[in-house]
Amino acid sequence: MLDWLDSFLVSGLFDVVMIIGLALLLHLQLGLTRIANFGIVGFWGLGMYVFGVLYVRVDWAFGDPWQFIVCAALAALAAGVAGLIVGWLIADLNTDGVLVATLGFAAAVQILATTEDDLTGGARGLGGLRIPFDVGKVKEDEFAWLLALTSVVVLIFLYAWRVHRSPYGRLLIATGSNEALARSLGKSTFRTKLWMFAVTSGAMGLLGAMSGAMVRYLDVGNIGIGVTLAAMVGLVLGGTVRVWGAVVGVLLTVGLFDIVVQIYLPLPREWYTQTIPVLREVIFGATLIIVLVFRPLGLLGDMRRDKLMGKIHGK
Amino acid sequence: MASDVVVASEAQRPRIHVRGAVKSFSGRVVVDVDELVLGEHPIEGLLGPNGAGKTTLMRMIMHSLPLDRGTVTLRPPDGAEVVLSSQHPDHMARYGAVKSNQVIMDFEKLTIWDSLLLPVTEVRHERPYSVFAEGAVFREHEEEMRHYLDYFGFDDPSGFAMSAGEKKLLDIVRCLLLRPSFLLLDEPTAGLPDDLTEKVMAAIRELAAKGTSVVVVEHDLHVIWGLCDWVHFMAEGKLALSGDPQTIREHKTVVEKYLGEGHV
Repeated sequence: MLDWLDSFLVSGLFDVVMIIGLALLLHLQLGLTRIANFGIVGFWGLGMYVFGVLYVRVDWAFGDPWQFIVCAALAALAAGVAGLIVGWLIADLNTDGVLVATLGFAAAVQILATTEDDLTGGARGLGGLRIPFDVGKVKEDEFAWLLALTSVVVLIFLYAWRVHRSPYGRLLIATGSNEALARSLGKSTFRTKLWMFAVTSGAMGLLGAMSGAMVRYLDVGNIGIGVTLAAMVGLVLGGTVRVWGAVVGVLLTVGLFDIVVQIYLPLPREWYTQTIPVLREVIFGATLIIVLVFRPLGLLGDMRRDKLMGKIHGK
Repeated sequence: MASDVVVASEAQRPRIHVRGAVKSFSGRVVVDVDELVLGEHPIEGLLGPNGAGKTTLMRMIMHSLPLDRGTVTLRPPDGAEVVLSSQHPDHMARYGAVKSNQVIMDFEKLTIWDSLLLPVTEVRHERPYSVFAEGAVFREHEEEMRHYLDYFGFDDPSGFAMSAGEKKLLDIVRCLLLRPSFLLLDEPTAGLPDDLTEKVMAAIRELAAKGTSVVVVEHDLHVIWGLCDWVHFMAEGKLALSGDPQTIREHKTVVEKYLGEGHV
């Protein structure tokens, strides 16, 4: 079964779907509420490491899938609580302040993952993680896990899609667009930002836990700025204010580079260890600059709220 | 529009009490009001030359600008006094105190429907898990929203407010939809054509007749004399005079500092 499927392709697709999930959550934070979270990898990485530590270090009385479910739920909760605390600190900061604070948070998570080596394995890494079911060969398990992740990301997509069509989405857009005016209409913009940030951070933590089960071995190198950059560049390219922007943008960046370029282009073998990761960051960074200069609203352009409202409520 | 309105008695009106309110910017005192009660009359005007401190005082009342000293309280007709100057700005609307904006303010990404739905939506429908509430909120408030859309002549509520006048009107409609018990209007008719100015004035009269206390800051004297039952005159950050429109209009200080000779 699945002989046609390359395991490198499954792994590549897993990364693409996971970054789409992160970009969708970033869409709610940045696209609607205008919170420029540059610490995505911090929440994702926190979820990954909390999951890993709980899964490996705690002697659970039950096995998978409950062991995974409980550890992943606690990891999402931990990332959500971190989102609540970071959100509380940044809610009233300007864009520069938010950028520095979220970057700082991501750096703190990576440093803690390195220094708390009794728990996390530090620079040596942490093994013993696994996909919480066994349907056959490794490739088949990974493919099934990819489908599980895809289901979660589809749910995130549907949630973001519904948010656009709900009073909650309107409140997020109003908060991001003109906070003082929203406050004067009785809206608690502080609480709105805080809970939105906590919920989306928790979801990032869940994606981190699922990625942990996929990679099986946690390494501090996994939680570097590259994850944030991939989600940010994908979303900005597609269009920060559009739900489909996250999907289109990530497919055109991570999808194109990690799958088409890395798997199907005949690149020299020695490039894979050092050159390609650096090349990837350079291309993503350059894409970000080009898009911001020539098409700041991204490929899909501005939010078409007029069309949406016309469709929902008519004239 | 006001034919079926039951006029509220004076005792039922909410009042705002300003005591010892001081605000300075870079050492310069911009507002220094010892004592001011707003809301003893249905519609009151706040008049004064540019830089008199009117807008600053309005913002201090709504606590969008913190006071250096003093207090601002709201006494609802049937409740305990609330210290507005210690509340968060977003709590004001919950206590019924609402203010329109002097400068044009709008939500860039939101349509006219959005702008109307935003103020009427209750908190329980704006939670992260409330993603299926749009239909219910719209149905509950559609009639009220369409009333204002028709009255002010908005053609396409699914579109955006484009002109400065539309944005100004939308700002006022948002305030009206909050059903305020105390409404502060900062130059509500600035930039509006005469027919819309009359419509805004009629809507304010109707609101005041139903029991809302209204304070209007305006430079359009036609609006002040034609709308207000009582007028406060501010100059150099202080409350200089209060009286009925005729008295204020003819008062020597007002003529000297603001209206100019030959206005009366």
